[in-house]
Amino acid sequence: MKPAPFGYVRPAEVGDAVAELVRADQEGGGKVLAGGQSLMPVLAMRLGRPATLVDITRIAELQQVQVADGELRIGAAVRQRRIERDFGGVVPLLSRALPWIGHREIRSRGTVCGSLAHADPSSELPAVATCLGATLDVIGPYGKRSVPAAEFFTAAMTTVLAPVELVASVRVPLPSSGSGFGFAEVARRHGDFALAGVAVSVTSREGVPRSAVVTAFGVSDKPQRRDLTRQVVAAVNAVGPAPEALTSQLVAATEELADEVVTTEGDSSGSPAYRRRLISALGARELARAFNSSMERSTR
Amino acid sequence: MSTLHRLKQTVSTRIQQRPVTQAATSRIAPDETVPVNFTVNGRPATVHVAPRVTLSDALRDHLGLTGTHIGCEHGVCGMCTVLVDGDAARACLLLACQLDSAEIMTVEGLGKPEDLHPLQASFGKHHALQCGFCTPGQLMSAYDLLDKDPGIGRDELPEQLSGVLCRCTGYRNIVDAVAEVAETHPNGLPAPRNCAATELLPRASVGGPSRSAVGVDEVDLEGIAEIRMPQAEPTVSIAVHQQVRAEPQQLWSVMSDTERLARCLPGAELVVDFGNDRYKGRVQVALGPVKLAFLGDIHVVERDETTHTIRALVQAADASSGNVQAEVVVAVDAAGSGSAVRADARVHMTGRIAQFGRSLASDVSKDMFGQFTAALDAMARGEEPAEVKPPSALAMTLRIPAARVRALLNRIRGRN
Ligand SMILES: Cc1cc2nc3c(=O)[nH]c(=O)nc-3n(C[C@H](O)[C@H](O)[C@H](O)COP(=O)(O)OP(=O)(O)OC[C@H]3O[C@@H](n4cnc5c(N)ncnc54)[C@H](O)[C@@H]3O)c2cc1C
Ligand code: FES
Ligand code: FES
Repeated sequence: MKPAPFGYVRPAEVGDAVAELVRADQEGGGKVLAGGQSLMPVLAMRLGRPATLVDITRIAELQQVQVADGELRIGAAVRQRRIERDFGGVVPLLSRALPWIGHREIRSRGTVCGSLAHADPSSELPAVATCLGATLDVIGPYGKRSVPAAEFFTAAMTTVLAPVELVASVRVPLPSSGSGFGFAEVARRHGDFALAGVAVSVTSREGVPRSAVVTAFGVSDKPQRRDLTRQVVAAVNAVGPAPEALTSQLVAATEELADEVVTTEGDSSGSPAYRRRLISALGARELARAFNSSMERSTR
Repeated sequence: MSTLHRLKQTVSTRIQQRPVTQAATSRIAPDETVPVNFTVNGRPATVHVAPRVTLSDALRDHLGLTGTHIGCEHGVCGMCTVLVDGDAARACLLLACQLDSAEIMTVEGLGKPEDLHPLQASFGKHHALQCGFCTPGQLMSAYDLLDKDPGIGRDELPEQLSGVLCRCTGYRNIVDAVAEVAETHPNGLPAPRNCAATELLPRASVGGPSRSAVGVDEVDLEGIAEIRMPQAEPTVSIAVHQQVRAEPQQLWSVMSDTERLARCLPGAELVVDFGNDRYKGRVQVALGPVKLAFLGDIHVVERDETTHTIRALVQAADASSGNVQAEVVVAVDAAGSGSAVRADARVHMTGRIAQFGRSLASDVSKDMFGQFTAALDAMARGEEPAEVKPPSALAMTLRIPAARVRALLNRIRGRN
């Protein structure tokens, strides 16, 4: 399968990229080309026929990664594999999630911001960004705006981005002391999109949970973030921190969560009931693990 | 425009609206073809492509590097896996025009038939391939993996190798093959074996599929690369003697004029004379459905007037089937009322043509030599030689035993 013809522009500066998007928008439609790992299949199958691709990968400003002001800032041209390789452990939840994206060969080219902009509901990174309260820096013809991840995703493969805007970078908060994370998903094969998954962030002090957030993905049209602090506090009070006991104790709460967040229809890979099971089982287990690692990190 | 209007309300900081600064922006229209320069297996290459041409198509159709296979063309199967700037990537998900100045490595760069990379050797040893369709992708993915993480444990291999599908082997043998290389090279994977600048694939073969593969406009006019013969045993050695009617001096007068000499070789043509006895030339060979068009460099390294001997080095490539390197010696001696023409050639073949097998390759070469001496003899005696045609299907099948032609056809059908 070959893509239909399109024009190609590769600007060297962010401002030029925006100007190209504006121009393309008036001349048959344009698309940002980042890693191409989602866009190229769409073009090859002719599910999309943009008139122009605006390649942003050689814009020096967008190739930057910085750790500053309590955040990891990842530019739009930065590939997933680079974060995996050079910034492993800086944001632990990100490091946990990245290996689940496709395969090495995909992450060699796919960008972090491209995955967010593409907003596939089964994708790992939108869930991670939502779970951690990341912020997207969006730039368009009239200026810049900052959009919290929780507001960025509006529906399946749909975001607040206008066709003339691009994501310039994403800022992900660094972990505070006393934080722990959990991540799990189930897919038919390694590298396939998740049937269901959870990203979990817990903070605690002196053995007491202070916050507990679960973000479920693959089960509705966008990542679903829920605060389960109250339920985790109650479960720890009831059975203590031991992971197995805590997991069992949390299942009632995560079943309730699953009933609420799983809204996809079933497909050949899994019924809604199966996806609910996955969310409750994975959610309870990862909350218990995240709480335990948060205690280790706070006592160190 | 409503989106713009809406955006006006939402922005927090204003930036100046600006015209596009054309200087730093590359722009290609949908139907425009532009040259893109990159490095493939350590050698500079140029492809002329429109924006929508993928790297996998550029490698296969424009550079004749058909080791990179294409399966799904949308990123799922991994057949097209190559290294781009050192990392494994799907060639079908990259546009060639994105990659100017990139360094690309394909399975052809990994090793040569006579000098396999340890990964390739291990795949053979462990029967890690059956039909071979996925093998280039598996090798490149495995190369990337062990290159970055040489000491990787066996347990991790199934997951790490999951990016390339195989419909034949069941994967166990592939994992065994990669595991053995990881175990025997824990401190680092050996470098690729065919990425050096020697044994140049002539840049002239870089271009469109058939037309420009031999097109004069594609010829690098700067001259020819230094030709070095491989150390290994030649694929075929040919030694032919033939009695002809012309006298040695008559033959020599043709042999010392390269232009006329070339006209004696079936299907051959001199394309450029660079002086200094260096030439660019081409030869076409047609064998049944097989049509090869070799374009390459010729360097006459020795012309000995007293012994009537010339020695030449030849390095040529067919865009899709492989490379030939040869050392050819032609010598003429007085014999009886005429002369004896002796030709000795040591021919090295790589790529798919090597699969023709020694016997067929030497049949074809001998047949070409037979026609060559007949033409040389005629021209030396002042007759314009009967038009020398490229070895054609008909002519060849008459001379080569039918069984051999069938074996060749089977090979081509089975392996193509
Ligand atoms: C075989 C395979 C398996 C995969 N498996 C997974 C998986 O398990 N999980 C997963 O999450 N992903 C998976 N992916 C997708 C992969 O992660 C992509 O890298 C990612 O979704 C998109 O990133 P990209 O940089 O390649 O974007 P592109 O493909 O270049 O772009 C994707 C879309 O986002 C837009 N876009 C990109 N960057 C920007 C920007 N900065 N601003 C505005 N718009 C932008 C493009 O216009 C396009 O519409 C898989 C892909 C393949 C081929
Ligand atoms: S052909 Fe590229 S992944 Fe299938
Ligand atoms: S060997 Fe046949 S597909 Fe892998």
